[in-house]
Amino acid sequence: MAVDRRGFLKFVAGVSAGVMVTPIPWKLLDDASIWTQNWPWIPSNVDGASTYVSTVSKLCPSCVGMKVRLVGDRPVRILPDENHPLSKGGISPLAVAEAQMLHSPARVMRPLKKAADGAYVAISWEEADAMLAEKLGAAKGGIACVSGDETGTINEVLSAIAVQAGSGNFYLMPTEAQPAAKAVAAMGGKGQLGYDIENSDYVLAIGANVLETWGTVIRNRAAYKAARPHGEEPAVQYVFAGPVQNSTAAGADQWVPIKAGTEGVFALGIAHLLIKAGARADAADFDAFRSLVEAYNPAKVAEITGTNPEQLKSVAGALMKARTPLVITGSDFGQGTGAATVMAGVAVNMLLGGMNRKGGLKLLPVAEPVVSSAMTRAEMMGKDFVSYMSRINAGKEKAPAAMVFYEANPAYALPQATKMSEVLAKVPFKATFTTFLDETAMLCDLVLPVPMGLERLDDVATPYGSGQALYCLARPVAPMPANVKPAGDYIIALAGKLGCSLGVSSWEEVLQAKAQAMGADWDSLMDGNVFMSDATVSASLSFGADALAKSVAPKAKEGDFAVAPVFKLGIGTAKTAIPPYNNKLIRRWELQGNELYVAMNGATARKLGVLMHDKIVVSNKSGNLTARVNIFEGIMNDTIAVLMGLGHTAFDQFSKGKGENVMQLLTVGFEAGTGLSVWNMAGVTISKA
Amino acid sequence: MADRHLHPANGNSASGQFGGAAPFFVGLVVALILGWWAFPQMLYSQKHQPIRFSHKVHMEGAGMECSSCHFLREDGTFAGLPTTESCAECHSEPMGSDPEEVRFIEEYVNTGKEVEWLVYQKQPDNVFFSHAAHSMDSCNKCHEFTETELCSSCHPNVAETDEAPVYYENKLTKYSKQTMKMWRCEECHAHPEHYGTTRSSNACYVCHK
Repeated sequence: MAVDRRGFLKFVAGVSAGVMVTPIPWKLLDDASIWTQNWPWIPSNVDGASTYVSTVSKLCPSCVGMKVRLVGDRPVRILPDENHPLSKGGISPLAVAEAQMLHSPARVMRPLKKAADGAYVAISWEEADAMLAEKLGAAKGGIACVSGDETGTINEVLSAIAVQAGSGNFYLMPTEAQPAAKAVAAMGGKGQLGYDIENSDYVLAIGANVLETWGTVIRNRAAYKAARPHGEEPAVQYVFAGPVQNSTAAGADQWVPIKAGTEGVFALGIAHLLIKAGARADAADFDAFRSLVEAYNPAKVAEITGTNPEQLKSVAGALMKARTPLVITGSDFGQGTGAATVMAGVAVNMLLGGMNRKGGLKLLPVAEPVVSSAMTRAEMMGKDFVSYMSRINAGKEKAPAAMVFYEANPAYALPQATKMSEVLAKVPFKATFTTFLDETAMLCDLVLPVPMGLERLDDVATPYGSGQALYCLARPVAPMPANVKPAGDYIIALAGKLGCSLGVSSWEEVLQAKAQAMGADWDSLMDGNVFMSDATVSASLSFGADALAKSVAPKAKEGDFAVAPVFKLGIGTAKTAIPPYNNKLIRRWELQGNELYVAMNGATARKLGVLMHDKIVVSNKSGNLTARVNIFEGIMNDTIAVLMGLGHTAFDQFSKGKGENVMQLLTVGFEAGTGLSVWNMAGVTISKA
Repeated sequence: MADRHLHPANGNSASGQFGGAAPFFVGLVVALILGWWAFPQMLYSQKHQPIRFSHKVHMEGAGMECSSCHFLREDGTFAGLPTTESCAECHSEPMGSDPEEVRFIEEYVNTGKEVEWLVYQKQPDNVFFSHAAHSMDSCNKCHEFTETELCSSCHPNVAETDEAPVYYENKLTKYSKQTMKMWRCEECHAHPEHYGTTRSSNACYVCHK
């Protein structure tokens, strides 16, 4: 039977009708919709039992304790650790991102060598070993080491190499700990400043951003929380003095706006009022100090700092009434402050009888080095990296033949960052031990990948800001990538090749010796416990009046406006760029696309003749940046607030090229009394773009 | 033009009417066969578990229950399928003469490898299903389920099978044929009486996080 056209059309009609009463169209439609939701590029949930390991963050400068939730051997979440004294149930926005950062696209996964054309090529560890030994061997006597890990015993290993194979050039990246150590030394003291926030009933933070970034900030926040239960009268008053109404100002009972870099003068203004009210301290140079602060009457302090004299008097009065007041001085942005600022703060605590007193300022013991010829902590703190770089730049000191960086990113994080990169270019051979491909790695001849804190055995010894001496271990909770090597053992072996005698044969041996020196029990530390000590060292300090007199007066700054960098832990630190997880922490008018926003108050904007969203150029002799204007009234007059942690030229797509690096604007000066490099008073001129 | 007439001039014979509709019905039947028989054959591929596992032996022979292996951990999370390590608690050495048991011990227990069991009802990651919330305690507030009954109200009842069911994988979606669709969840979640007792509403974010 032949099929004609009409018959075929009838057949098709029958098929069409039939198909509609079969699952074909409906099931296919449903399955197609499910198929479109199959996204193989997103990670899947990991099945398995959860286990929890207590450790400490090596990435976050607050050294917060954390509990890592693991499924199998994979960290899936970072949780607060209620039992850790630097966590107390809290966690920092940087530490919480660590599990994700194990998989960061910016991680260095194998040794890299800079080829002749400037490109980085992957090499084997054997080739890297040979290159490092050859170059450092040839540079012997001229090796400098720079560390970005302030609390680790790795610094002893690195400083021992710098002493034995170099000319003693070991440096820590600048933080608040160095000016504090310099202050203690200038006041004739020993040990490390400790702040007993938990037992204080009145905390005056001058510059120190104690509830956002300063010191052991998560522990500070826990003390704040414990003293101020919801719905009840606060047991502790918090007062913050600084140029920007940051999170500390927002949490404090009172914000005292003062100009950036005038924290020391504000403290001396308090000292003036305390002495006038009869406060005394048992120090040899008390009279000299009294003469010094005589000039810092409320009117003069108001003129220099921009504060209100009545507010100054009210704060001084409240301090006198408090039983256990504590004054903390520091930098708004965690670096660049002078020793004089800290000395002025210590002086106020001395006048309040707060030295080595419960709820006051303490001098904490520091353990002796356990590695042969390693620098003591005091010696390390006395070394000023920014000053060293400045001397090389000025031709006053020869550039070292080789520089070794350990988790340090000076090409991005030092003041006058661009200039610092130029100085680094004068060093013939540079190698870096790093987790991330940062700006400094991009200047180095050799890049050696090290594991993250979650993947290695490491330690934390009394971070600056802690109220007690403490020691704890970061334990490896996750397997490290195949071609990454822990730096401790590697550097000890390297030291051997360079002919250095460190007196230790393994990294674990170093840590065990350190634990013993601290008085801690190794087994307990390895169980995740923290060693803490209530011990203090003698606090018979002088006021260091001579050095203070030379240092405290703020220098005239360039331009009509001041820069107040705003430091937020979640946006990144000197060590790391913003974790991808934290991009959502950037506020709407801090960054739009790749464009930076800077904030100023309405009066400053009127003075400049600019409106919200206007494009401006902020410049001084150190550098310039282009940004748009955000209006925020919580800023001092003639001051612009600039978010730190942006403007990376390396790392990954989540941070590279976003905004601008405020460090370019921070001009280095030197404190007359101590010689310390300072950069907390950057003056700028502002023009419309 | 007469040759263009495709039907007899009277055009109303019974045979002519039937013959005229035949292609339609042929097409209809072809489509039905294709849709109900051939299409499922084409859509799903058949897979078998990597090891032949008898639930019956474990339930009847060893007196175990579903929760002996598929248990809730102390923290409330569901263990799902047992690991090789937990199977090895009994099967470190062959307990019988079944060659599959010997193969399991050689290939998995001795090597520490996990068995890649095919899960008949694996839900996508955007579905947050908690076995803890659907436990004997919560369901038996009103029902009187045995453990097997409760488990098999969603899962295929394999308690009495010697051989695991064939796994039909949808070639397009890659999910198992037996994967529960949302309407099955809604049989309880959209039921007013369930809401009254369990407070588990039918709102999106109860299951989709």
